[in-house]
Amino acid sequence: MDFRFTEEQEELRKEVHDFFSENLPSDFESRGSGPGTTMEQFKFWMELQKKAGAKGYLTPGWSKDSGGLGLTDMEQAVFMEESSYWGTSWPGTMGQRICGPPLHVFGTEEQKKRFLPGIAKGEAIWYQCFTEPDAGSDEANVSLRCVEEGDHYVLNGQKTFITSPGPADYLYTLARTQDIIPKHRGISLFLVDAHSPGISYGALPTLGIFTTEIFFDNVKVPKDRLLGELNRGFYHAMVTFEFERSTTGAAAGARRNLQELIEFCRQEKRNGQPLLKDPAVRDLLADRAIEVELSWLQGWFAAWHFSQRDKLGSPPPEAGGLHAKVVSADRAKQLIDAMGLYGQLRSGSKYSKYSGRAAQQWLSSRSTHPGGTIEVQKIVLAGRGLGLPRIPAKFNKEIRAAIEGVGV
Amino acid sequence: MDFTFTEEQEMLRTSARDFLETECTEKLVREVEDGDLGYSPELWKKIADLGWLGLTYPEEYGGAGMNVIDLTVLYEEIGRAMMPCPHLSTVVLGGMTILEAGSNEQKSEILPAIAAGDRIIALALTEPESAWDMKQTWDAAGVNVGATADGDGYVIDGIKLFVHDALPADTLLVAARTKKGGNPEEGITLFLVDAKSQGVSITPLITIAGDKQCEVVLDKVKVPKSSVVGKVNGGWAPLERSMQIATVLLCAQMLGAGQRLLELSVDYARTRIQFDMPIGINQYIQEHCVFLLRDVNGCRWSTYLAAWKLAENEPCDMEVSVAKAWSSNAYEHACWCAHQVHSGVGTTVYDGVLPLYSRRGKTFQLYMGDTTYHKEKIATLLEDWSPPERPKGAPLGLWEEKPPFWIPDWWAEFDKGT
Repeated sequence: MDFRFTEEQEELRKEVHDFFSENLPSDFESRGSGPGTTMEQFKFWMELQKKAGAKGYLTPGWSKDSGGLGLTDMEQAVFMEESSYWGTSWPGTMGQRICGPPLHVFGTEEQKKRFLPGIAKGEAIWYQCFTEPDAGSDEANVSLRCVEEGDHYVLNGQKTFITSPGPADYLYTLARTQDIIPKHRGISLFLVDAHSPGISYGALPTLGIFTTEIFFDNVKVPKDRLLGELNRGFYHAMVTFEFERSTTGAAAGARRNLQELIEFCRQEKRNGQPLLKDPAVRDLLADRAIEVELSWLQGWFAAWHFSQRDKLGSPPPEAGGLHAKVVSADRAKQLIDAMGLYGQLRSGSKYSKYSGRAAQQWLSSRSTHPGGTIEVQKIVLAGRGLGLPRIPAKFNKEIRAAIEGVGV
Repeated sequence: MDFTFTEEQEMLRTSARDFLETECTEKLVREVEDGDLGYSPELWKKIADLGWLGLTYPEEYGGAGMNVIDLTVLYEEIGRAMMPCPHLSTVVLGGMTILEAGSNEQKSEILPAIAAGDRIIALALTEPESAWDMKQTWDAAGVNVGATADGDGYVIDGIKLFVHDALPADTLLVAARTKKGGNPEEGITLFLVDAKSQGVSITPLITIAGDKQCEVVLDKVKVPKSSVVGKVNGGWAPLERSMQIATVLLCAQMLGAGQRLLELSVDYARTRIQFDMPIGINQYIQEHCVFLLRDVNGCRWSTYLAAWKLAENEPCDMEVSVAKAWSSNAYEHACWCAHQVHSGVGTTVYDGVLPLYSRRGKTFQLYMGDTTYHKEKIATLLEDWSPPERPKGAPLGLWEEKPPFWIPDWWAEFDKGT
């Protein structure tokens, strides 16, 4: 056991620290009061994103040739931890973290040359277009239809709940290329121009983040926009999630939030004494401190295990992320309940307390589905993690027919 | 960062598990519970031969010079096997306190005897009044049994309650108040009291766990000056350090026991057939297993971090309290989940293993402070946290946001363009 960082890792942390400390404005607040941002904020983030991109900071795990810093897995986790502490909100985050990695692994030389620099430099905004009205938790049920026509593909169908941190340039799109059982063997990945004729968008703001729905009406996609192998897209996309396992960033963000909350409770008084002395508030702060430490530990375990994957293979089942989701609503409720009538005020009001964060956290905590609902995560952990039995998918249709036959 | 154990630690784990599987059977655990002593002298002798009693003592005192992480590994296995024994009382709370604060004579007399299995020590700390309120129970302010100077020694008078392992103890390590007023931590002295002294009477309590916690009545017990461990009025600091180690080792026991509960529950869920299917196919059952995993994983990492900090001699009040605050609640919840999976089968006290785990859980949870107590400690430590670091760039005044917040400004233009 050793929970120390190396000197090199500490130096890297210092470098990242200095970048954000110098480049973020002193009045910066690491939160949004809602899914939306003002134009000025958006422009600020785009500018800073390009500045970070010029230093290789957006994709630090990529080689220097492709616009990164060539960091090791553990160094990337240090990087992510430090940058998340500062509450960064890159409009290009989907490209950097979700679409870029599989592009690296499965892209052709030409695709890499065409798409990777824009991601690394912070110029392009990508959307991850996986979810559909009938493919939410059941992601393999993708039905956005893709057919080959001459020298291109044609897409028809709809995507929904697509996280949209800025105006899109490219859509990283899962589409059905073959009807087959099991369903995930007939899905392919396409790199689609966001402004292709036939694509239209609709705003779908949610309590947590701003999302859009996207309609594809005979959208032509050139053949060279297929990523990797035809019908292997579902597997290619899985690579993405490997890169996403560590929560070092989330833990650092949570630590900053806790510091912010403690400072608020220190300044704000109730009945002549600081909130920090209120028993209910102390209970809430202690719970958050416990969770910050556990999520830090589990994040570093995941990062470390990933860095040793050649030796250790796949990681043991881990329920830390699930726990964070399960309790997020409790914590938001504890906070808003501790604030009396003020808890309901959002930011911008004369009487707002804590910049409306209690209200925003409560609203966001209704939305725990991104990355997999709590319920699906439990099923996955029970099945793949603990080896508990499940009804094989091939019986699903029979079961459905049997239920329909019997009625309710 | 390194999340692995050393080769020696892995060997210790394997050999401890093998040994305890054969020597500390469920049958033995039940026999000890029904017996009068609260431990098995034969098993005690055997673990002395294995070197488990001197593990962390320097070689000059018959020890192996290992650290808290090694102990943690051992305690996981002790927890898994539910081994009833006075190891924590004797080796950690007694011996490690003496190692920290005792005189050379005390160390050379007592530590080798502990390591050889010839001396059992019990810590007499908690008291009838302070036991009501955890805030008092485990803090210096709760120690009010007094010791008064008398000739060339002291007279200790009062009742200690919930004293673990007092029945087989040769020696009691008694925390007594020698100075009133001022900082409560600066008026406590530790005394070594022969358990056979005149005026000492020991009566076991009937607890949920069936362990032999005791009432220890000290009726004007005379002790010589040489029985003081460390400085007069300076007993709290060394004791607190040993109590931190003991706290983490209780977490390690809950981790080892919790891991076993997880294995038992998953195994039962896979193999128990009802409605023509293994019950583990039901998501209600799966949820219990997943929460068990969550509970145990949290114990694991928080315990290892606290143990590592203790081994490195770093300040670790926060880490110790996080580990115990989490583990106390998580272990009780893990037992609950295991009971839900096993239902009736998990409740039989004659041959069921689950009741042994869940009954002992109550002791683990309360001993050295429960979740509420440690959360309050955490909150006190948080009062000293600094505000988040503010960046240094020129202020831009951009962060005022306008209702209704839901749609970002860039959307209108993008929407028009597409």
